[in-house]
Amino acid sequence: MEGASYARMPRVKIRELKDDYMKFELRDTDASVANALRRVMISEVPTIAIDLVEIEVNSSVLNDEFIAHRLGLIPLTSERAMAMRFSRDCDACDGDGQCEYCSVEFHLRVKCITDQTLDVTSKDLYSSDHTVVPVDFSADPSSLESSDGRGIIIVKLRRGQELRLRAIARKGIGKDHAKWSPAATVTFMYEPDIHINEDLMESLTLEEKREWVDSSPTRVFDIDPVTQQVMVVDPEAYSYDDEVIKKAEAMGKPGLVEITAKQDSFIFTVESTGAVKASQLLLNAIEILKQKLDAVRLSEDTVEADDQFGELGAHMRGG
Amino acid sequence: MNAPDRYERFVVPEGTKKVSYERDTKIINAASFTIEREDHTIANILRMQLHRDPNVLFAGYKLPHPLQYKIIVRIHTASQSSPMQAYNQSINDLDKELDQLKNGFEAELLKFSKDY
Repeated sequence: MEGASYARMPRVKIRELKDDYMKFELRDTDASVANALRRVMISEVPTIAIDLVEIEVNSSVLNDEFIAHRLGLIPLTSERAMAMRFSRDCDACDGDGQCEYCSVEFHLRVKCITDQTLDVTSKDLYSSDHTVVPVDFSADPSSLESSDGRGIIIVKLRRGQELRLRAIARKGIGKDHAKWSPAATVTFMYEPDIHINEDLMESLTLEEKREWVDSSPTRVFDIDPVTQQVMVVDPEAYSYDDEVIKKAEAMGKPGLVEITAKQDSFIFTVESTGAVKASQLLLNAIEILKQKLDAVRLSEDTVEADDQFGELGAHMRGG
Repeated sequence: MNAPDRYERFVVPEGTKKVSYERDTKIINAASFTIEREDHTIANILRMQLHRDPNVLFAGYKLPHPLQYKIIVRIHTASQSSPMQAYNQSINDLDKELDQLKNGFEAELLKFSKDY
């Protein structure tokens, strides 16, 4: 029964790694796997987000549902999400989604008592679980200048206005609602393979070379200041726009450069919302994809039913 | 108002089978697999993996309608294999590939955090 294996051995190489950003190369696989990973990272890796809001007092200028929506969009640290239960299949609670296995409670109580406008931010949310808190961007030195590291603004209050609420955060996936998506952006591109026809290139004058190099909207080629040869400085800057190819044709030099996409090499960029680390996001995506594949295996009874039918069929066919 | 619940896109309703298998009545070694609550993510990797199997003469999938959350994978194989065998094989191979990817990435992550 067990036939030959047609499995591939994909390779990965990390180029850049930060908590919320990652760039890596994926080789020896095809676009279907690359795209499945991208799709899973965006819409099927679970995170935790506020899903139910009970407002006690709201005298702010924003209405209740507006605030509830804004609360939902705040990214919460979700390292726990993979181990948590979805509240719809949690049997420890009676489906109200308020038990420790499937939900986290938040409280917010703010009142403005001064003449200055008060910013209500994600830092005013108090969590019942210290592992699930609003994402803190202030640790990142690049975002120091923005909003004084005070978190994500929910609403602004003037003197006398008050906001008091209780919120329940639940596990969910991006397919259900984008607020549960852990990915800000996930993209991949084919690695370009660029070949310059050196003989043809040398038939150009320096002026023509410069003109051709400048015809690319992105800086892919440049001229070596010493040898005056055209060289590829950044192949990945090429956006498959065909401008340099059209330019070569217009200059009467078709075939000056040949650019193909390597069908089995991809360059991924992953940006996370901060809910999970970018590296963990990929690992979770692989795990989810494995679980999904496992779920689509044929069940035992289907196989048995077919075996009987198969024999019967063989008899009928005169076997 | 009458919009279907969002979870209907990914929760298999009770009493429904995740995968159902239907043999082609006219062609030997041809069958359709109807997979409930799945989309291009699974269907396309299955299809491409099936294409790597030389015993598979045809493999294709369709998403019949954007509001019917199911996919139909159709497989036609040569006589030394069967659609069911090819289907199982493709899932096992993809599983192996993902294991390899996971190990490769974890090793790379370790190496990367040491270097920097």
